[in-house]
Amino acid sequence: MDITLRRIFGIETEYGISVTGADRDPDPGTVAMIMFRPVVAASRSTNTYTRNGSRLYLDVGSHPEYATAEARRPIDAVRLDAAGERTMHRLALHAQELLREQYGPRTTVHLYKNNEDSAGHSFGCHENYLVRRDISLQLLGAQLIPFLVTRQLYTGAGTWSADGQFQLSQRADFLDDAISASTTRSRPMINTRDEPHADSDMYRRLHVILGDSNRSQIATWMKLTTTHLVLCMLEYCTHHGLDTGLAGMELADPGKAIKTVSHDMHGTAVLDMADGTRKCALEIQGTYLRLADRFVREHGDEIALNIADAPECLELWGKALDAVHFSDISELATWVDWAAKYRFVQSMRLRHPDLTTARIRQFDLDYHDVANGHIFDSLVAHGQMHTMLTDAEVEAADVTPPADTRAALRGAFVAAAQGAPGCTWSADWTHVSASVPDAKPREAELLDPFDSQPSEDYRKVMELLQGE
Amino acid sequence: MPQEHMPLQHSSQQSVQQGKAQAAESAEAERSSQYEDAAQGLDSVLDDIESVLENNAEDYVNHFVQKGGE
Repeated sequence: MDITLRRIFGIETEYGISVTGADRDPDPGTVAMIMFRPVVAASRSTNTYTRNGSRLYLDVGSHPEYATAEARRPIDAVRLDAAGERTMHRLALHAQELLREQYGPRTTVHLYKNNEDSAGHSFGCHENYLVRRDISLQLLGAQLIPFLVTRQLYTGAGTWSADGQFQLSQRADFLDDAISASTTRSRPMINTRDEPHADSDMYRRLHVILGDSNRSQIATWMKLTTTHLVLCMLEYCTHHGLDTGLAGMELADPGKAIKTVSHDMHGTAVLDMADGTRKCALEIQGTYLRLADRFVREHGDEIALNIADAPECLELWGKALDAVHFSDISELATWVDWAAKYRFVQSMRLRHPDLTTARIRQFDLDYHDVANGHIFDSLVAHGQMHTMLTDAEVEAADVTPPADTRAALRGAFVAAAQGAPGCTWSADWTHVSASVPDAKPREAELLDPFDSQPSEDYRKVMELLQGE
Repeated sequence: MPQEHMPLQHSSQQSVQQGKAQAAESAEAERSSQYEDAAQGLDSVLDDIESVLENNAEDYVNHFVQKGGE
């Protein structure tokens, strides 16, 4: 058993704000500040951590953002991401109530878990994977990027442009280089900033920037789990000096390929490969699936704990590729966001052949609105969209950190600090500190994301908060 | 689910070249019936949505403009 082959998962989601029905239009920045009033009241900041260990903050440009606490399993990250949606829903409706006093009774706040506004500004949903330091950037570019570029066949959220054209990914048109060191200047697909928030001799933090925000819990889970399996292959083979079998997957031009794949829901558009051959997205995904399946069978026992979800993932992965292959939109629509929206719009078109592009784009946005949206909830209520979590599980995830990472310590700290009279506290991914009146301030470092056991310093912080 | 499908072979195990022609054909053939079935299954969803969405779609969409992020 190689215990260094283990993973921390995280998802950072930016939400977009819009207000309709108001007597006069409030500025999105104002709306965001009103949304965050309860957060500021509780923590004296628009940048805070929650009782489940996640980060809740206002990003540049008034984007409310939720970054999930450290999770060791994809399902835990999905649970925290769903708790994030729930938190955002609550904050948005609270803000709506306040705004109605000033802007009229029909004022409606929309909070979009999507990646593009009506004017073509793009914002992100970033995935974080703690990976072993010994996989090279060159290898990630050659053998991970082709997987990421083509996985949108089942992870894409789908969107219609102003001219009515449909594509699988909301992000594809905005991405440039495959790998880069910054996110805001040019938009790379993966980012390699070296802030592992962990042992930097052994790990680096892989920041995946190209993904869409998913409403579907299953799509979120599949996005993390399939990517995890590919990373496991790359790490294991690198570590043991083995051939990955993925050398032929390198794309000649990933920036061009991601757009080609996004505009082809059949997965058969031709992509130029670095070795001069041509392959389609289905073929590339099929190769990754086949090798992942073989990897799990041959090496599964050695990294058993890390791939507990693999059988379900591999089965669904295969089904998804088959469904794309046979253009079976109904099969995909039970969990693939783009297909669910596409199917909805096509059905609406049967009722209303004169459906306008503006109306379709309204449907598109409504699907992503976690505050006042109707379509996604209705699809779930009528069994058209499948889920992984019950409402009760999501409610519990709001206040329950994963038990087996340092998020357990951070979450317990936040809960105690929020309940301690007169307490001033701060937290980040690797650090907590608190002071209460008439006592010495205390702080503790949380350096190892896999460690949920309290250190001596951490115990002292907690004793301070509990008034002992 | 309006349609149930038998588990299929992984497309990775088939020739993609063959698959392309096949997919295109079956896509065309299945498309119309598929949408009709889908429309049936989705009827309650469509009913839900028609009664609640704001009338001015253009206005709704154009209200969402936001800069920054990432």
